[in-house]
Amino acid sequence: MRKSALLTVLMIIAVVVSACAPATTPTAPPPVQQTVVVTQPVPVTQIVEKQVVVTPTPGPNPEAVIQGVESNAEIHFWTFYLSPTFDPYIKDTIARFNQAYPDVKVDWEDHQATFQDDLRNAFAAGNAPDVINLSISEGWVSDYASQGKLLALDDVVPADVKSVYFPNLWDQQGVGGKHYQFPWYQGIHVNLVNTKILTDAGFMAADFPAKWEDIPAFCQTIKTKTGTLCDIRLTVNDILSQMVYEGGVKIVSDDGTKFTFDSPDAVAWLKHYVDMVKAGTVDKTVLVTDQDRTGLDLFTSGKAAFYDTGPNLIREVRANNPGLYGYLAVVPSPVGKSGVVGKGLMAISVKADTKFPKASIALAQFFTNAKSMLEFAKIVAIYPSTPASYDDPFFSAPPVAIEDSAKPYAKDAISKLADIVPSLPKGVKQVDVNNIVLQAIQQALFNGADPQKTLSDAVAAANKLIQQ
Amino acid sequence: MSKKFSLTPYLFLTPALLVIAVFVLYPIAAVVYYSFTDYSISTPPIWVGTRNFQQLAQDPIFWQALSHSFIYLLVTPTLIVLCIILAIVVNRKLPGINAFRAMYYIPVISGSIAVGIAWRLMLDTNGLLNSLLISLGILKEPTQWLAEPAYTLPIAMLLTTWLGLGYYMMIFLAGLQNIPEELYDAALIDGCNHFQKHWHVSLPGLRPQITFVAIISSLAAIEVFNEIFILTGGLGGVLNSGVTIVFYLWRQAFRLQHAGYASAVAIVLLVITLVFSIVNIRRLERGEETE
Repeated sequence: MRKSALLTVLMIIAVVVSACAPATTPTAPPPVQQTVVVTQPVPVTQIVEKQVVVTPTPGPNPEAVIQGVESNAEIHFWTFYLSPTFDPYIKDTIARFNQAYPDVKVDWEDHQATFQDDLRNAFAAGNAPDVINLSISEGWVSDYASQGKLLALDDVVPADVKSVYFPNLWDQQGVGGKHYQFPWYQGIHVNLVNTKILTDAGFMAADFPAKWEDIPAFCQTIKTKTGTLCDIRLTVNDILSQMVYEGGVKIVSDDGTKFTFDSPDAVAWLKHYVDMVKAGTVDKTVLVTDQDRTGLDLFTSGKAAFYDTGPNLIREVRANNPGLYGYLAVVPSPVGKSGVVGKGLMAISVKADTKFPKASIALAQFFTNAKSMLEFAKIVAIYPSTPASYDDPFFSAPPVAIEDSAKPYAKDAISKLADIVPSLPKGVKQVDVNNIVLQAIQQALFNGADPQKTLSDAVAAANKLIQQ
Repeated sequence: MSKKFSLTPYLFLTPALLVIAVFVLYPIAAVVYYSFTDYSISTPPIWVGTRNFQQLAQDPIFWQALSHSFIYLLVTPTLIVLCIILAIVVNRKLPGINAFRAMYYIPVISGSIAVGIAWRLMLDTNGLLNSLLISLGILKEPTQWLAEPAYTLPIAMLLTTWLGLGYYMMIFLAGLQNIPEELYDAALIDGCNHFQKHWHVSLPGLRPQITFVAIISSLAAIEVFNEIFILTGGLGGVLNSGVTIVFYLWRQAFRLQHAGYASAVAIVLLVITLVFSIVNIRRLERGEETE
């Protein structure tokens, strides 16, 4: 016991002594001149992020501009070639629409290559959609409106709603002085250019013809220097329209009672293409195909110098031939003798016998309002039909990608689009007269028929349609 | 001994009869009715009597289409000859012969649309065929094969032949394998060479198959559509050079919205195929009687 007590005392002494000893070898420290840093408090702005819950101010949704929408309406909406790429946009817009018009249920379907067949069959079966995305450029609005399938908007859409659109676009494809469409997304008429082929031909993108009349000479040089044929497509579903824009052709008499597309202007327009076919400078398969994608595919494959299309389809080139994307340039499309580049692209219409006209008009208007169009333009190179959309900084920002190269002049270009094709004589279906013209011009293009005679024969055949 | 009427068999037949009535009889009756109307699918039909048939008789493109369809029938004898030769070639017990048979069958399972697109790319101005012919020095500059009226129909016929080769070959192969080997032995003893052996034994033995292939391939040829549509991009070829009667029917109904007129074309087509079928079936029956 004594031993352990002694041991404990010794251990305590040892611990105390070791604790007091320096950790290292004790050496005398040299005198150091010390700098004293005085720290003073500096005022700092501190940003504190907090989640703030904003309670919406009760009141009408500013996008709900159509009054008296039917409650518990269920409407069907068809679009053309937008799914699946734009599914999120369409669904988000419908969700926003439902915030503005909570009592309306929207059933959306996208139809593609069979759109026209599906729509005709749906009309025949009595179950056509209430709200329909129709092509202005293909003449669908005037076609369906002249058959009495579409709702005239003049008396049911308030003046302040009509005024949100470019007037030239609102006025397109009227029938009997009435309007049948809300102008939707537009395209700027451009030519996509393969700068590699152009350089081989001794051209710069800036050398691209500004006038339609100069295209044949341009193609001849490209063919001679590179062996490449021009990728040009006649709008075979609406040949008369192309005659009007490119050739400045007057297709119907002033009183609207007979066809006149055998004038010297019309013959000159046809000879333009006949001469290109004779010179072998144009791809004949593309020239008369009714599929725009055939021409686009040829360009995308890198085997054509240029193709007339919209900047929105650059995405197809980038997806299918990324190697070509680096050689792309975008130039404005050449202007024909009419001085007008072209008409609008897409519209939204409402069927004439819809059970829910107000709800349908509300949806058509909502998709075409300035905000919806701006959101759409931000995800793909389309252009709004509403001037207000262009006030957004998105359009004033300098273009970065080739897809955006038309942004700086887009508003001006869109404001000049116009449908200058006159209405056909009463009772004549566009498809019938178009078929007559298409058969006739093929005779001139590929069978050596005289352009004047073939057009005069076509006019005679078309005038018989009026008499029927 | 009068039999008692029983409802039971009719009850069993009813579902099938209903399906036939809805999907066969009604459409035929409707097409007959529409052929006497002015009808554009989206508007109600208007009775016009025989006007559509009168117009058809004076429609040069209809006659052009009809003549193209009859020219297209050349596919049938071509297929029969090629397929019999091919069946004889692959009817041997050689190592790997099944792989050859399978390879000949690949176009059949590929589908006419996919094959049509592949052919279109191959025949493109910048396609494989032009590159090959230019590299061999046969052509100086590319030919636009599908934009030349003279080539449209032959190319489509070639495509149809190529597509059907494997299928019809299999039918002839099955027929060849049913011919007793003793007949070939007897022919050899009688001094026949290889060609004579097949001429005197294989061909008579394949008679039922030849008649069957003649019927179905001629009906398929006269109703050709897919190949024309794909190769010509939906246009029917420049100057209607590839327009066949079914393509013309489709164009009138769905491109030009002349459903009434298209129905009249359909009636003409129905009559032609009916005559074809009756003639061929009579031949088949006569062939069976003589055996």
